[in-house]
Amino acid sequence: MSENNDVDPKLLEILVCPVTKGPLAYDREKGELVSKKAGLAFPVRGGIPIMLVDEARRIDADPARS
Amino acid sequence: MPADHDFLFAEVGARLLDRLADVRRDFPRILDLGCRRGALGAALGARPGTAFIVQCDLAPEMAGAASAANDLPAAAADEELLPFADGAFDLIVSNLALHWTNDLPGALAQARRALAPDGLFMAALFGVGTLAELRVALMEAELAVEGGASPRVSPFADVRDAGDLLARAGFAMPVADVETIRVSFPDALALMRDLGAMGESNAVAERRKGMTRRATLMEAAARYPAGPDGRITASFEVVFMAGWAPGPGQPKALKPGSATARLADHLGVTEIPAGDQTGQPFTDEGKRR
Repeated sequence: MSENNDVDPKLLEILVCPVTKGPLAYDREKGELVSKKAGLAFPVRGGIPIMLVDEARRIDADPARS
Repeated sequence: MPADHDFLFAEVGARLLDRLADVRRDFPRILDLGCRRGALGAALGARPGTAFIVQCDLAPEMAGAASAANDLPAAAADEELLPFADGAFDLIVSNLALHWTNDLPGALAQARRALAPDGLFMAALFGVGTLAELRVALMEAELAVEGGASPRVSPFADVRDAGDLLARAGFAMPVADVETIRVSFPDALALMRDLGAMGESNAVAERRKGMTRRATLMEAAARYPAGPDGRITASFEVVFMAGWAPGPGQPKALKPGSATARLADHLGVTEIPAGDQTGQPFTDEGKRR
């Protein structure tokens, strides 16, 4: 499953933000799982979601994202 | 038992699977918490009734290695902040990973939350007696060579606390017991090398900065009790704990005094009243009040 960066669809279904336990938006192009509420974008590397706050990119909590 | 730095995880993993085999229940959705290189995940996949396995590890490299090894989905996750929806799993298994956490009660609460009603949590973690010989040798050596001692081996779980911790995290029917695994090494330095290879040299966050002095290590190796053949034994105490997420239909203790049948009737004997002495606490002198 390391050929592409896609997250396993069943895993994707149960993943939530580790901080808020709220939903995540999957940005397939950027390879990120975005928690708007926490203002964090968790990276996906080789299909492995890295759900660690220390590894997440900080984003503005406000701007509307799809 | 032969020494090889992954054997301990394999051995304890096999014992966890053994215990799991005693539970006559299918667990369709499984989380392997602290998956290392995916050995346990692969074995869990072979369990009948398994539909979906997720593996997670605090180390992203481990999560990647596990997924590459067994082709099961994996994520890097902190046990204290699990990224899984409430009730996402029917079984959470953890093999020698939770001693790394700074907040075991918190990690247990997170696991409990990720379990569906009537889901099972089963974990093995190092107990307090783990590496007791090494601890004593290092501390003595440090006092002798450096004139002070610092924490060197992770503080491990006490089996006496395990049931309490599970209950406090909201698990029903908590159980815990200990098994000791003794491993023979050529000498204490070989043991320390192996611990390093296991990535287990020291999980204590407050560890003093810097390397241990070579003189201290040599002194510790000399102080480590050896057998007549010069080989040394290291003891690993493993606490096995299990608890169920509360669910309907689980057995619960009845209220005292709510019995509807008399034991004496079942036994076909005459009941001899114990009078008002029953249920009275003992006094300090060991007599009933």
